[in-house]
Amino acid sequence: MHNCVALSIVSQRQTVTKRDGENRRWELVAYQLCSTTERIGRFVLRGDKKMTNNNLNKLLAFCVLFCTQKTSIVHGAQALETKVSLLLHAEPENPKCFAEGMSDLTCFWEEDEERAGSADQYSFIYTYQNENSSECSVTALPAAGGKRLYFCRLSQTQLFVPLDIRVFRDDLLIHNRSLFIEVVFLLDPPANLTLTSTGTQGQLKASWLPPSLKYMGDSMMYEVSYAMAGSHIGKVEEVQASSELILRGLQSGTKYKVRIRVKLDGISYSGYWSAWTDPVLMETMPGDLDPLIVSLSLIISLVLTLLSLLVLMSHRRFLLKKIWPIIPTPESKFQGLFKVYDGDFQEWLGHSTGGLWLRPTYFYSEEFPAPLEVLSEVSLGPVLPSSALPPKASEALGEEEDEDKKLKRVDPALMEGWRETPQEHWPMDQLRAIHRHPAPWTQSSLLESHDAYVTLNAQNHSVEEPLDDILEETLPLQVLFASGRTSSESRSDLSSNVQQSSGSGRLSSQSSFEYPNHTWPSKGPGYTYMAVADSGVSMDYSPMSSNKIDDIGKGVIYTNEYKNEIPAHRRPIGSPIHFAF
Amino acid sequence: MTSISGPVVVLLTVLQWAGRGLPSPVRPICDPRVLDRFIMEARDTETALRGCKAGCGVTGTYVVPLTNVDFVVWETKDTEEQALEVQSGMSLFGQALGAVRESVSRVAVQILIDNNKSNIHSLGQVLRSLHIQDLPLPPAPAVGDLVTRKVSSLSELLHVHTNFLRGKVRLLLTNAPACQQNST
Repeated sequence: MHNCVALSIVSQRQTVTKRDGENRRWELVAYQLCSTTERIGRFVLRGDKKMTNNNLNKLLAFCVLFCTQKTSIVHGAQALETKVSLLLHAEPENPKCFAEGMSDLTCFWEEDEERAGSADQYSFIYTYQNENSSECSVTALPAAGGKRLYFCRLSQTQLFVPLDIRVFRDDLLIHNRSLFIEVVFLLDPPANLTLTSTGTQGQLKASWLPPSLKYMGDSMMYEVSYAMAGSHIGKVEEVQASSELILRGLQSGTKYKVRIRVKLDGISYSGYWSAWTDPVLMETMPGDLDPLIVSLSLIISLVLTLLSLLVLMSHRRFLLKKIWPIIPTPESKFQGLFKVYDGDFQEWLGHSTGGLWLRPTYFYSEEFPAPLEVLSEVSLGPVLPSSALPPKASEALGEEEDEDKKLKRVDPALMEGWRETPQEHWPMDQLRAIHRHPAPWTQSSLLESHDAYVTLNAQNHSVEEPLDDILEETLPLQVLFASGRTSSESRSDLSSNVQQSSGSGRLSSQSSFEYPNHTWPSKGPGYTYMAVADSGVSMDYSPMSSNKIDDIGKGVIYTNEYKNEIPAHRRPIGSPIHFAF
Repeated sequence: MTSISGPVVVLLTVLQWAGRGLPSPVRPICDPRVLDRFIMEARDTETALRGCKAGCGVTGTYVVPLTNVDFVVWETKDTEEQALEVQSGMSLFGQALGAVRESVSRVAVQILIDNNKSNIHSLGQVLRSLHIQDLPLPPAPAVGDLVTRKVSSLSELLHVHTNFLRGKVRLLLTNAPACQQNST
């Protein structure tokens, strides 16, 4: 029966918000359910065979009702336990009383199990101002920690009037208290706490259902506690007479836990803070780029870009030189080579004007055509007829057109030149002398130190010039001025050579150094010397066609194939053969 | 337009004259903070004069209304009955405070009493704004009536006064039909 009594107390509490008639009914239902189950249990244990189907159906119906109500009753019991623990800490006076609704009052006190008596030992007497006293029935419930709780519940109360409470144990006053019921309210926590997003970052909207107490809606004060999930440090905000609150200043994209409790404001009604609701979790909206930061970064990047552009523009020439260096072209030196002739150099050469002569010289600026020195021992054999010389000279000059003329021209020119310059022509004299007196070389002393030579000048001058450049060497005249037979042979050779390749004859050392039958004078360095200064230009010494010679410039460049072939027996001892071009 | 505006102006003028003569309807004062302020001032007065020596020199007994409210019982009463109860109580308090004002000599106390008296008068205005007409008060209730009781000290008088304001007056004002229509 004790269980049924406790259930009746709890069931009464569930009906605080309902009308009185309903209160009575629920109480009755709870008590009946409890009693019925007990009786049914006894029946089952007895194994009463008289239990019919009707009884079973009733039992089933009761069980169903009981089960559906059980959850609420259990919940109520838990709330009572919470409130008791709250008041045990908050209220120092005894008995501790609290009002949950508009017409109820629950008072309790605590005693140790050892000294505790039964409930009927206690009497709870309450007296309203200017009224008679009344008594409330005391119930006892076990509590944790070896304690016992004694309850008294009033279902009809008067507010705004002093209430005197006296508790007696076996006629001994143990507690005495005077209170106003409207100032000891201890409400249930607000229900249906929900969190929603407001659409703005860093905000959450908390909404709840206020306790449904008549006349007290505008006297309610709420305290909202919110903190980041997992953190114990939170903030508290108070709001009065409202059912929602917008939490601001929250971090974006963070989960928050929110809870709320309620209390009456204390002007007309007052009381204790209710228990906290169960925390509700909600994540705030994800963070977005702060517009201020975005705008500042854009401005900074723009400023930096402008600065870099300014620097680039001010140093663009320097940078262009470094990045895209100018490739030097020889266009300035060769006027019209690229624009007119598209880089065809040969064509450009062909169409060039008088200044063309300069160009090859420009190419070979360092090399001057040195005179060709044909040196031979004076004391050598008969001098070649002078006619042999012109072909040689003309051959050396390499002029095709005037070849014959040159032969003739050179001949007298040479002769004249030799005649003119005694110094220059004394080899000729010598030659004449030798010619006249084809005696062996015995008087080579004079001629030893002198040379008779033919100069080949690259310039298009008369052959007289070459004579100016005749080098003076003390070498004997060459065998070119040798005997006629030889000379004729050589001449024929020369002529043949000339005829073979006009302008590019061969200087056959063999013909050049065809000595007469005389023995080679042993004395002195009897050798044939042809000074050839190497121009240093790699030229094609192969037999060239006349066209090519014409192209080059009519003997401006003397291209000859020469054979540095000297018969071993005729080769001067220890001295090289030089050909001067 | 000038032809129409003439009669309209005359009509408005006539209405305005008529309106002046009639009692102007007062806008309902449904804000609970008005009464809350009166309650707080009464409480402050009670607290201030609690430590008054020898009852601040106030002697005598004063008839005060009962302040107890049983919601169940209260809800069974209609608005008129509630209003009557409130108004009679307020008048009793007015009378008592008037008598107290005459007996105190300290100026500070006098100022506080005057403040409370003005608050009672303002409450009357508030009740009138809620279309709670002044009802003819019943003859001064006797001491033994259930609706009144006697107090013998200023602190108790003020205490009852505070309780009365917090209870019955507040219930009447917050549940006045005029305010209920505005809220809904």
